[in-house]
Amino acid sequence: MKSESICRVRYGCAVGAMHSAVAIPGTIPIADCGPGCADKQYAGLVFYNGFQGSGYGGGASLPSVNSTEKEVVFGGNERLRELIQASLKVMKADLFVVTTGCISDIVGDDVESVVGEFQARGAPVVYAETGGFKGNNFIGHEAIAKAIVDQHVGDYAGPRDEGLVNVWTELPYQNTFWRGDLQEIKRILEGIGLRVNILFGHGSGGVEEWKTIPRAGFNLVLHSWLGLSIAEHLREKYGQPYLHVPMIPIGSIETGGFLRKVAAYAKTDPERAEAFIREEERDYYRYLEEFSEFYAEYFFGVPSKLAVVSDSAYAAAITNFASNQLGLIPVKIIATEDPPEEHREGIRGLFRGISPDIPEVQFIEDGFVIEEEIRNSPRRPAIIFGTTWERDVAKEIRAGIVEVSFPASYEVVLSRGYVGYRGALSLIEKIFTATISASA
Amino acid sequence: MARINLDNSAAESREQRLGTIVYWDGTASELSELSGYSKKRCGDGRGCPLKERKGPFTQPSVCSEQMVECQAGNVREAVLIQHAPIGCSASQIIYNMIFRIGLESRGHKVENIKIASTNLTESDMVFGGLEKLRLTIEDVWEHYRPKAIFVGTSCATGIIGDDVDSVAEEYSGKLGIPVVPLSCEGFRSKHWSTGFDQSQHGILKHIVKKNPEKRQEDLVNVINLWGSDVFAPMLKNLNLRVNYVVDMATVDELAQMSEAAATVAFCNTLGTYLSEGLEQHFGVPQVRAPQPYGIRGTDEWLRELARVTHREELAEEFIAREHARIGPELERLRERLSGLQGLIATGSAYAHGLIEVLRELGIAVNGSIVFHHDPVYDSGDPRQDTLAHLVDNYGDVGDFVVSIRQPFQFLISLQNHNPDFILIRHNGLAPLASRLGIPAAPLGDEHLAIGYDGPVNLGNLILEILERGKFCKDLSRHVTHQYTDWWASQTDPGVLAKNPGLIWED
Repeated sequence: MKSESICRVRYGCAVGAMHSAVAIPGTIPIADCGPGCADKQYAGLVFYNGFQGSGYGGGASLPSVNSTEKEVVFGGNERLRELIQASLKVMKADLFVVTTGCISDIVGDDVESVVGEFQARGAPVVYAETGGFKGNNFIGHEAIAKAIVDQHVGDYAGPRDEGLVNVWTELPYQNTFWRGDLQEIKRILEGIGLRVNILFGHGSGGVEEWKTIPRAGFNLVLHSWLGLSIAEHLREKYGQPYLHVPMIPIGSIETGGFLRKVAAYAKTDPERAEAFIREEERDYYRYLEEFSEFYAEYFFGVPSKLAVVSDSAYAAAITNFASNQLGLIPVKIIATEDPPEEHREGIRGLFRGISPDIPEVQFIEDGFVIEEEIRNSPRRPAIIFGTTWERDVAKEIRAGIVEVSFPASYEVVLSRGYVGYRGALSLIEKIFTATISASA
Repeated sequence: MARINLDNSAAESREQRLGTIVYWDGTASELSELSGYSKKRCGDGRGCPLKERKGPFTQPSVCSEQMVECQAGNVREAVLIQHAPIGCSASQIIYNMIFRIGLESRGHKVENIKIASTNLTESDMVFGGLEKLRLTIEDVWEHYRPKAIFVGTSCATGIIGDDVDSVAEEYSGKLGIPVVPLSCEGFRSKHWSTGFDQSQHGILKHIVKKNPEKRQEDLVNVINLWGSDVFAPMLKNLNLRVNYVVDMATVDELAQMSEAAATVAFCNTLGTYLSEGLEQHFGVPQVRAPQPYGIRGTDEWLRELARVTHREELAEEFIAREHARIGPELERLRERLSGLQGLIATGSAYAHGLIEVLRELGIAVNGSIVFHHDPVYDSGDPRQDTLAHLVDNYGDVGDFVVSIRQPFQFLISLQNHNPDFILIRHNGLAPLASRLGIPAAPLGDEHLAIGYDGPVNLGNLILEILERGKFCKDLSRHVTHQYTDWWASQTDPGVLAKNPGLIWED
């Protein structure tokens, strides 16, 4: 048997995806969990990760069973029923999402029946099995999305709206910058003439928007792998096609290509897409032109060699931008989210496609091994795009650090995002401010 | 007074040992009376059983395992293993920040926290996780060569019944270091402070030197968390040195606790088990006195510490000097603060201390939320009855709510009192206050309000925080609340506990 121990954790567990429910406006999860589960996931994924804030339905506010010995020994059905009923009485939500934890899943509570009683009464409640031992919050996210579709959105046989797209992209909260990123993705897709179900975050219309999922012309999976199983599920359920774009676009080169690809797939007016791209590039390149003065002649030096330690999707997006638009040199690439085995070859291909001379992506979850990999890298990175966990090794090898991934405990993030046109400019600001700040 | 039994592999939970409750509401004097601590109504050193008022609606609490992370996980030169599915490790993130900031504030080298998860998955739930535990112990030994390894359990391993004690014993022998099992399944106790007790039990049983060859007559164990170094400068006036435990201590500093002349704690909630264990098993006296909050409490606390360590004269000189120094400053602060109303929402004994400080500053405290209530502490000594000390010396608190960090109840308390500010320590409640237009002073540095400088520090912090009312008031005009109109119109935060049938009414 091989050790699978993990220190310096870089994801939550399946129940941590209760924050995907929190990310849908007007939705409140109900934690069918022990007393500490919701607090742990919140403190890690939401608070000490960019201090994002849980807003309406999360944090310490969501209902939680707080299982005791009684629920372990005698089962928790009774208590869950009571808590759901109390939640309907005390809290206002368009939808409650019951997420089960280890205790409920091991003991074998019949959550389906309990939730079914409320559904039969027409109460807006769904459930997903998200026991922590079943996988991480990426897996939990897909389970919750499917649960809402199956149990709340329901069947649909009406007409399809070809100009409407459902977007499945970054994992809310896990990705520290998801709020800004999703807003930008929505903005640029609207720019080429689509209407967008962004589904999570401030740009989402909440549960009402989710109810229009089956009407959309197609699903866009904008991630190295997350969301593919949701799109497959929607294809089976509604006969809805999907487009998989594994590279999240950062910067004008990738974003322009992305928009043209989507426009072609969705058969939107190509002229409109080109006009939008032109307009965006005009602004973008004026900023880049001005930045180029710093980039060309800041004679105290700016770093070139970089290491990236992040979820595969963000690692690819950043590596791609850094390598192909900024001309930086990736020397170490580590993907940390434990992507399912069947997607790993695809992810390797995604990185190989960035440039022939970048290193092969490594899949590592344990913080000790990651640190060793960085420390012993034959080509030493001058800047690390990583997490709070990399601060120590960055100091040790005198590299700069830009926290782009969970946990980013030294970042306060509101609307800042790093994708698309506007995000790329923010990322440039962040990279080089970090570099200069670390100097004398 | 209950015997702390170090033959057992784990501490008894708070509710079994002390009769702890997490839901109640009434007046502070009533709770003090019912607890019967000072009055010894229910036998020597035993509190009286209290009736808990738990309702059907509950919001997330915090578990014992988290407190093990923030105690055993914060010991330098040691490693904590979480024998658990990966989700329990999400809190590594918060305790890492706490650890890093604590190291910085104490002048130690800043580094990441050392906690490893055995990362249990579905098949381990079926076949058991002990092999993964063995491999993880070998990993951390290989990677860090720690001076001690703690192994905390989880809800999952508690239910599947992994025999962690045996594996810990096996590796204690193999590695020649203490491998300390800590039983901290979240579901086993309704209050997280049981996790303090479990960590301290493991330290008492496996790490503290059994037969110290010497006594350090000038060494005082100070049980605290990661607060700034306030005790050392204070105790220096009594020619005493400080041994801060448990957070940020080295394994050797934990081991030498049995050599100390006395033990004190910044808060009885945290320190009750360890202080008593050190006294019962190692003859280190605990300072049986009020906590060092406010001028009165600090005086009494110092005098008792001086008596135990035979430094009465030094103490009296110090007390006189400090009164002269702090008096005028306090007077100035009182002028600016009197007439304000504050509301406290923190852990139990800590809240008792903070209310005393606020009242010394002339601030009204009509309501308070504590996250639990221990009817008695482990010593059973009435001089440590912090609630009675508050009520007897500073008067009653008319609206005293025991509520395990429940924002829905806090909403009602905030509406009832509409305070000028709140004091908090744990996460979870201040966000709600902000949305209602009320600023919060978070006491991340738990030592801020301690000793003679405490009231001054706290008073100045409050003056700063009051300004943030501008931010909160503006915000409050632009937020939607997540509670139903029915709930928001309640005036009794405990109404659902008293009448649970309400949830079924339309």
